[in-house]
Amino acid sequence: MDDPRPAPVGAGRDERWDERRARTAGLLAEARAGRTEALGELVPELSPMLWQVARSAGLTAADAEDVVQQAWLRLVTHLDQLSQPSSVASWLVTTTRREAWRRRSAGRRQFPAEQDWLAALPDRDPDAAEQAVLDEERRELWAALAQLSPRCQQLLRIVAFVPRPDYDAVAAGLGIPRGSVGPTRGRCLAKLRAILLEGEEGSTDEQPGR
Amino acid sequence: MNNPDADGLATANQPVDETDFVILGRVRQLFDETDPMPADLPGRIRFALALRDLETEMARVAADEDAPVLAVRGEERSRTITFESDSLVIMIRVGANPDGTARLDGWLDPPGARQVEVSASGTPLAVLADEDGRFAFGSVPRGRAQLTVRPESPGPPGGRAVVTPELIL
Repeated sequence: MDDPRPAPVGAGRDERWDERRARTAGLLAEARAGRTEALGELVPELSPMLWQVARSAGLTAADAEDVVQQAWLRLVTHLDQLSQPSSVASWLVTTTRREAWRRRSAGRRQFPAEQDWLAALPDRDPDAAEQAVLDEERRELWAALAQLSPRCQQLLRIVAFVPRPDYDAVAAGLGIPRGSVGPTRGRCLAKLRAILLEGEEGSTDEQPGR
Repeated sequence: MNNPDADGLATANQPVDETDFVILGRVRQLFDETDPMPADLPGRIRFALALRDLETEMARVAADEDAPVLAVRGEERSRTITFESDSLVIMIRVGANPDGTARLDGWLDPPGARQVEVSASGTPLAVLADEDGRFAFGSVPRGRAQLTVRPESPGPPGGRAVVTPELIL
């Protein structure tokens, strides 16, 4: 509950990632051979990311569900476009985004005021001291996000849900420049980080001499 | 440093590191709390994918039945419903368990040791019908459910899975 780290890192990581890659490749091969439902095994892990893609584009919950499901069904007929297992997540994000934009511009729903979702911070039980600390952290994060452009808010909301092994490919697909060793932080994340680190007292993190 | 934008831009081209992933983890937690994906969405997507399989045969509700919605309330009630497809008849009886879940007893005609799956609340349950075509699910969560009957394996070539319409248990 109080461990905010997205995924364990360190020893064994590459091995696990290789395993996952091999598993995905196997599922794609099964699906190409006609067993579509093999792709279903990828659904639980990747769908929360796609949900955020659709919602951050301003779709209603019902439209978001529909768009996410459509993206998966479309994957079935575009399996030949996926040369590598690592491109599945990125392909799904791109497809979901495109369809979400299309629906939004088709006027199914007006785009919400830019920071509507920022206003939706739910109330929590104010009694627990632990909860108060969590709330404080959340408020701080919320305030930091509110300082970013709508485009950055949307981007970070998506990127935060990308499984670690897919981060490289999805970030590239979202236009975050790639460095020599992998994805760069990109402007949006760099800004959020700077705001958060500035908020912490005496933040010395890699700032001196720069 | 009062200008976070300048700060941010200065480090934008550095590689992502663990601190970044901790921050992203917090962002994820925030949206997991404020706008979570509906819990049953993955299950419905998986089912839609399963339906895409071309070898699927759709069963329909036999003519003399009520709408394909089974409401089972109270322990005393149980209902029977029959589905037909080109190759198979599936009959099920739905009863209520004291714990609020549903019990499904079913028969296949023609009989055969085929795998029967019920997708309910996202997690498919599977049982094997016996040689007489009987099968049973002792406890199925209430809610939307759908039955899939797999071809016999090994079986005659061209065997197809049969899928029923959605039920509300």
